[in-house]
Amino acid sequence: MPKTKKPTNSDRSPILGASFRDPSGFLFTDGGTLFRQVNRVYAENYDRLMESGLYDKLVKAGLLIPHQEVEQAPGEKEAAYKVLQPELVPFISYPYEWSFAQYKDAALATLSIQKRALKAGMSLKDASAYNIQFLHGSPVLIDTLSFETYQEGQPWVAYKQFCQHFLAPLALMAMRDVRLSQLMRVHIDGVPLDLASKLLPFGSRLWFGLLTHIHIHAGAQRRFADAEIGGPKARGGMSRQSMLGLIESLQATVKKLEWKVGGTEWGNYYDITNYSNTAFEHKKEVIAGWVERVNPALVWDLGANNGEFSRIASAAGIYTVSSDIDPAAVEQNYRRVRQQKENNLLPLLLDLTNPSPALGWANRERDAFDQRGPADMIFALALVHHLAISNNVPLPRVAEYFAGLGRWLVIEFVPKSDSQVQKLFRSREDIFNQYTKEGFEQVFNLYYSMREIIPVNDSERTLYLLQKRK
Amino acid sequence: MSFLPNALISGFGDKLAYLDPGSGSFLIQLLIAALLGAGIALRASWSKIKRLFGIKPEVDEDAEDEEANEQ
Repeated sequence: MPKTKKPTNSDRSPILGASFRDPSGFLFTDGGTLFRQVNRVYAENYDRLMESGLYDKLVKAGLLIPHQEVEQAPGEKEAAYKVLQPELVPFISYPYEWSFAQYKDAALATLSIQKRALKAGMSLKDASAYNIQFLHGSPVLIDTLSFETYQEGQPWVAYKQFCQHFLAPLALMAMRDVRLSQLMRVHIDGVPLDLASKLLPFGSRLWFGLLTHIHIHAGAQRRFADAEIGGPKARGGMSRQSMLGLIESLQATVKKLEWKVGGTEWGNYYDITNYSNTAFEHKKEVIAGWVERVNPALVWDLGANNGEFSRIASAAGIYTVSSDIDPAAVEQNYRRVRQQKENNLLPLLLDLTNPSPALGWANRERDAFDQRGPADMIFALALVHHLAISNNVPLPRVAEYFAGLGRWLVIEFVPKSDSQVQKLFRSREDIFNQYTKEGFEQVFNLYYSMREIIPVNDSERTLYLLQKRK
Repeated sequence: MSFLPNALISGFGDKLAYLDPGSGSFLIQLLIAALLGAGIALRASWSKIKRLFGIKPEVDEDAEDEEANEQ
């Protein structure tokens, strides 16, 4: 029963913009539902994945996205073998939006999958960081078509990609500066190893894993760039044992990489209560009431710090994206997700003054932050002064941007008299005449209906529940 | 590394292998893996010897791998 294909809002074709490299299949949408077409050329490998028990084992371990085979008209009929409907990931995140521990877990998940695949006679044919997403709090492989039959003797075709997508950025984050994860935003196929080798401190050469997989690897790439590596019929090469040795070496190297902020323990890093306990508890209570009243399906908490307020929504069973500009706050947030096995909170590293752009081929491989919306409800708590004062964004632009992100807005106005705002004026002049409670309400009133306004007890701040005007 | 015999060098015959493994990455991988594979073989023989003397192996690699995602 073929259905008429409906193009999505952002797409001229229903095939997803990121889904073109691998001839094994592709993602497409139909009527707003996401499907994955398995091409005939991949049939044998797909059947092996399903029949060898590897699929079941990986899904049970939470390492691979579950799917169902469905009776759905394929995206490209001639090439089609099967159509799958994968479980939906509520929010697609990218490696440059992950904290260190998120990135490290994603790398270890990839290696764990490769080890399990080898046991089942298969191997990963790619190791892209973009194939890993966070689902129920843990990293999962979302590309069901990443497996191929393992032929003993064959090296790991994804070795270079793993080093560029995972090892190099992680080593740079751990040994040089955590902000270097942003190199992934510039280099679509991972951090070039010669660049990583140049940027890493000398000490990294004294470490076998980094010496071989990054420094010597980079040297070999330079030296043998044009070397002929054998025709398609060549055999021999790398034993199963050697393959296992390679994967375990990568595993050990990644596991050893650590990142800490100034030697502090993560539990003590962030002191959320920069104002009184009464105010803090009242703020929580008000937000909890509004979340219950609106009952959104998806919340984006912008400037979430370590996710204290995000958890009001996620604890109520609402999927919540908890973003912040501070890598240490996001790290602490994620550590808490893992520790408490929270399954509907996604910590995300995001600079709201310069949110993730659309990237890749034709700017359609990786979506910009706002293209991944809209959310049902936006939290902007203790945030507006950072945007309006620190970053000089006029209030009307703040209101306009937020209105594009979600239908409901929970926003906190922090007046100039607040100690946190006073801090911002220590080193600069106050040129913000419009930054008053009245000015704020006037501007936001243009985009939103004010549903409720509650002053926070024992503070000078005010909370607003706003609904976007139609 | 021009001493690598041709027999060590295999190709990617699979038409699904859409990634370019990179010549340098490919060659260095063979070398590193050979070294690491030897390490694994050594470890296996060492635990066999230890078992002869009644010493149990320290960690079950498979069990550890099964838990890798739980940490």
